[in-house]
Amino acid sequence: MRFLVMVKANADSEAGVMPSAELMAQMSKFNDELAASGHLVQAEGLAPSSAGARLVYFDGEPQPQVVDGPFAETKELVAGLWILQGESVAEIVELLKRAPNPDLQAGTVEIRPLVP
Amino acid sequence: MRFMVIMKANEESESNQMPTTEMLAEMGKFNEELVRAGVMLAGEGLLPSSEGARVRFAGNAEPTVIDGPFAESKELVAGFWILQVKSKEEVIEWVKRVPNTDGAHHEIEIRRIAEAEDFGDNLTPELREAEEKLRAEAAKNA
Repeated sequence: MRFLVMVKANADSEAGVMPSAELMAQMSKFNDELAASGHLVQAEGLAPSSAGARLVYFDGEPQPQVVDGPFAETKELVAGLWILQGESVAEIVELLKRAPNPDLQAGTVEIRPLVP
Repeated sequence: MRFMVIMKANEESESNQMPTTEMLAEMGKFNEELVRAGVMLAGEGLLPSSEGARVRFAGNAEPTVIDGPFAESKELVAGFWILQVKSKEEVIEWVKRVPNTDGAHHEIEIRRIAEAEDFGDNLTPELREAEEKLRAEAAKNA
């Protein structure tokens, strides 16, 4: 089973503040462990939503409207992702509980199984 | 440049209602075009949030686990592509052509994926090298 793991955005990620050298080093180590145990398929960070866009669809309108970022609802935005392979949501939850968080920042990671 | 294109959920996707055969056929055709144009790196659908979970971090405390489903269906992700293109304009043009047979989309979000250059000096040469090794390792798990 494969899972999409989404790291939610915060004020720093949306402001384009890059992770500290310490967090990057810890994350690199964590990803190494995920790769070595056969869990890691892909890991990416996203640029702030100001570098993105949305296509908004309206009922009865054939063409969507394009809206450039940034977008307001920071906590709902995605800041990074993993694609992980595992047997169950519970297994992925246990892995993610160990994700480095040296700054002890509040935040949420969402785990969603992919359509097999 | 790589972009993550995020399809948002709706009531149908959250209630595990699968797309119609017509929609699946059109989406298959669109994905084939993306592949032929050398644009598509990945494309996946997600199961409803009822199959998922959230891990919430807060300070020093042990993270809290919350099982799905999650309430805010319009903010949830239902599927995504990872596309490789020359510019944001190019990815927008592709996404405008996403089939919408069932009138299912209310919003599609396009987000640029950070490349090594974006991380600045905090990504030391050593970390950058480790990152390249990691990608090769991860590709074996795919």
